[in-house]
Amino acid sequence: VTVVETQQENPLLEGLRVGRTPEPCALVIFGASGDLTKRKLFPALYALAYRRLLPEKFGVVGVARTEQSDEDFVEQMERAVREFARDEFSDEVWARLAEATRYVSTDFSDDEGENRVARCLTRLDEERGTRGNRLYYLAVPPQVFAMVVRELGERRGSEGWVRLIVEKPFGHDLASARELNAQIGEFFREDEVFRIDHYLGKETVQNMLALRFANGIFEPIWNRQFIDHVQITVAESIGIEGRAAFYEHAGAIRDIVQNHLLQLLAITAMEPPIDFSADSVRNEKVKVLRALHTPGPKHIVRGQYGRGFVEGVEVPAYREEEGVAPDSMTETYVAAKLYVDNWRWADTPFYVRVGKRLARRETTIAIQFQRAPHPPFAELAGDGMRPNVLLTHVQPDEGVSLEIGAKVPGQGMSIRTVHMDFLYGGAFRTGLPEAYERLILDAMLGDATLFTRIDEVEEQWSLVDSMVATWQRDRPSFPNYPAGSWGPKAADDLLHRDGRSWRRH
Amino acid sequence: MAAPAATVDDWTGEGVSVSRIERELALLRTASAVGGGTDLRTSVMTHVAWVPAEWREPALETLAGLAERHPSRTIVLLPDRESDADRLDAEVSLRCFPISGQERHVCSEVIVLHLRGRMCESPASIVQPLLITSLPFFLRWRGRPPFGDGAFEELIGLVDRFIVDSVEWPDVPGSYAELGVCFERTAVSDIAWSRGLPWRRVLAERWPGIAEIQELRVAGPRADACLLAGWLRARLDRHVELAHEEAEGLQRVAVDGEELDPPAAGPRDASDLLSEELDRFGRDRIYEAAAGAAQ
Repeated sequence: VTVVETQQENPLLEGLRVGRTPEPCALVIFGASGDLTKRKLFPALYALAYRRLLPEKFGVVGVARTEQSDEDFVEQMERAVREFARDEFSDEVWARLAEATRYVSTDFSDDEGENRVARCLTRLDEERGTRGNRLYYLAVPPQVFAMVVRELGERRGSEGWVRLIVEKPFGHDLASARELNAQIGEFFREDEVFRIDHYLGKETVQNMLALRFANGIFEPIWNRQFIDHVQITVAESIGIEGRAAFYEHAGAIRDIVQNHLLQLLAITAMEPPIDFSADSVRNEKVKVLRALHTPGPKHIVRGQYGRGFVEGVEVPAYREEEGVAPDSMTETYVAAKLYVDNWRWADTPFYVRVGKRLARRETTIAIQFQRAPHPPFAELAGDGMRPNVLLTHVQPDEGVSLEIGAKVPGQGMSIRTVHMDFLYGGAFRTGLPEAYERLILDAMLGDATLFTRIDEVEEQWSLVDSMVATWQRDRPSFPNYPAGSWGPKAADDLLHRDGRSWRRH
Repeated sequence: MAAPAATVDDWTGEGVSVSRIERELALLRTASAVGGGTDLRTSVMTHVAWVPAEWREPALETLAGLAERHPSRTIVLLPDRESDADRLDAEVSLRCFPISGQERHVCSEVIVLHLRGRMCESPASIVQPLLITSLPFFLRWRGRPPFGDGAFEELIGLVDRFIVDSVEWPDVPGSYAELGVCFERTAVSDIAWSRGLPWRRVLAERWPGIAEIQELRVAGPRADACLLAGWLRARLDRHVELAHEEAEGLQRVAVDGEELDPPAAGPRDASDLLSEELDRFGRDRIYEAAAGAAQ
């Protein structure tokens, strides 16, 4: 709105491609000594600075428990940018970002610490013209979350805007999510809260929206009449990477299913929004989440990896990982059959699976169409008449491929399945932006389209709660799949019972 | 800087037909697919460059920086009207570049055509069979286009986007009137206009004071200066006097005697500028109005 209003006022702005530059502001990262800041947030800020997408008047304040000076923090972030940024290191770009960077040490429970943050921000307003606009990034453990929110809420000034980026987990069940949302809601309006799910910042996830709604050919067949089923896979080859304390409580269902996977499903199944505004898109997504159900406990499979080989290296079982209980019943794999109860998708199964220590890292959305009703040459088919599959590769090999049957050259009518590929790296020879670049910039601009709204979070928890409700009563025999495989046999059976099978990649 | 091509396969022929060129191109593609078949021909456009002899060196340099960024079919037309022979000579190559993190490559096709003698008379008839069906056709014309000339008009009738750099023209701003005739026939890009974008942003930041501007003083190429002045006149809907001082590159801009701070972003090279134009579709009405008011 600001850009449009400004253009109406200033005729020189039209056509200058200045629409995505945010207003002056300060970004305050709570939990700045964590891995997220080093690996993702500062490299993302550097990428934005590199492309001159940050506002001219900008400041960033790191807040964490670690005692260190501004200079130490800047030095640490420089090392992180050199290691993790996607662009070459430029002294000039870094100098601009470093000059805008401050650090405040506090243990979050200390009132004086919060006062120091407030004083630092006031100084930034004076020195760098950030005009009281604040974007708070809460990358803090759940136990201090409420405290930080309260401190920020009580200190919010009257000048400028305030926005809050909230990292997952958004609670551990529906009740705790509601409590968390209530704590936030005491001080911040819903349009000031940006719940980040970095999957939504990925180009390929957004491309699902482009694929569906910018092409006339897909949407007419994007329904139960033409689609046999959908498979969504979020497979990781890595283990828990030292996150035992978190993972033991969360498991795969809270770590991935509750957020990333259900968001992928919602984007795949949603109705066309009337426009690309935050509320229009999120209204459609929440309708899908509300319509989701699983037909029962038999259609949910849990797994936990045992020892095995990943990329030629022997890796320990989950129960042998540091910090994991030797008799842990935490799931590292979930597969489920879900249904979206609406006119478009009735009786069309969505098979989803997520897992750690699987055969390879891969996130895909596969739309499997119905078979051709009466192929006249079926008996001569080279590898059988396989149904068409539209496959979105979220990561890696970002792109889209369509599997079609083609005639094998020569005598007779032999059909073979071939792939028509669109690869991002092939068609667009510029590097894909990291999800956090897009999301931080969107939050600065106040665009919440790619963030999760309160009702979406609650619907996601509602489904997850219903899935885990029965888990208290049974004790599966863990481990039930070897590391480096595609998961437990029960997951294969889940599809075999329906006469289908998981895609092997 | 463009990454080096992983593989380059080529073929050259003298006195060849267009269908022979198409055949050889297909053979190159087949050869590149043998032994793995993992290379991709990901075309997003056909890019044709008309390059008279005096522009050959800078044009080929610019194109070398583009092949990797825009997977496409590039057709370079090198006219040689004075040649005694009426002949078409061709150099066809397939340039394959690695895709980050993958074993596959993406391949671009480059066809350099020497139009000798009367072959210059109807370049459109040579180009048409070589265009990739249904993809946009961009034409970059080096030097001043011969507006009204039959061969030129034929090509303009085919293109989706016509790209010039009016800095290469000896007679701006007068020739913008002739360019204006093309606006209703195809989308037009002027690299001189793209070069001025950072300065236009600087000027836009002077709003609302700049609404009262009387004189714009520009040290830079004449085309760039005229377009800046034309833009201000068109956007403000009033006359702005231009005082021009010839210089290489847009160096200084002053509003009513007050010199402006130069834009933070430095100048971009020719490949970057052309690359941006190849990403653009549709008419640029702000440019059209600026060119119209530049005269």
